[in-house]
Amino acid sequence: MKRFYLIGFLCLMASDSLAQISFKFAGMAAEPLEFGMNWVLRIMANPWSYGALLGYLCSFISWMTLLRYAPIGPAFAASHLELVTVTILSVWIFHEPLTLPKVVGGLLIVLGVLCLARDESAASGEEQAHDGAQRVNRA
Amino acid sequence: MTALAVLLWLLNMSMDTFGHLAFKAAAGHGLDLDTFSHWKHLARSPWLWAGVVCYFCEFFVWAAFLSQVPLAAGVMLGSINIVVLMLAGRLMFRERLTPWRVAGILLITGGVALVGLGV
Repeated sequence: MKRFYLIGFLCLMASDSLAQISFKFAGMAAEPLEFGMNWVLRIMANPWSYGALLGYLCSFISWMTLLRYAPIGPAFAASHLELVTVTILSVWIFHEPLTLPKVVGGLLIVLGVLCLARDESAASGEEQAHDGAQRVNRA
Repeated sequence: MTALAVLLWLLNMSMDTFGHLAFKAAAGHGLDLDTFSHWKHLARSPWLWAGVVCYFCEFFVWAAFLSQVPLAAGVMLGSINIVVLMLAGRLMFRERLTPWRVAGILLITGGVALVGLGV
């Protein structure tokens, strides 16, 4: 089961990262940005847009599969940790500088996501306890 | 960030939030029906289709936004959607804001502000 979680989380992170990197490539290829059909058509004609679509599709499938077995709290956290992989990949692929505000800001966001995940775990635990209590009452 | 990038960021934030709320509004009805009727009910819900159209347009807005900012910063700035959605859930569906959620909201907002000022 541990292996299932690990593979699931890796699939989720990989597909989310693929989606974001594809978006960036598609956006760059379609420049200059203009408001109108021309730009929209340039985006639709770019193969990277379909990479983004594929990334979203795989991410959706991984998420739904994970949710079937994994507790919601850790799963929620994992679904937002693409932040870390995308940041690392952006340094490597797009040569983006890793500035201090970005590192500290990114860490704060990750901590915030962990807080929300903690809350979801507590809430679903409460619900289960509540259901259990109801079942006992009925018995 | 340029004014254009900020505009696209705000647009993405509103569309993402609207899409989620529309799906929630569509999903909350007809729960007493059996599975097939529930899906039929969903397919006829204008909220569901409003959400679908909204997400379709958001695809382009997000591509436009990322073309204006570095990728890592863009993805980090997009995290504000979590916060806005939670506040919207509180307003529209009276969802609870627990201490952990408030802490999460503050941390994410702080992080986004820091990244946003640095871009």
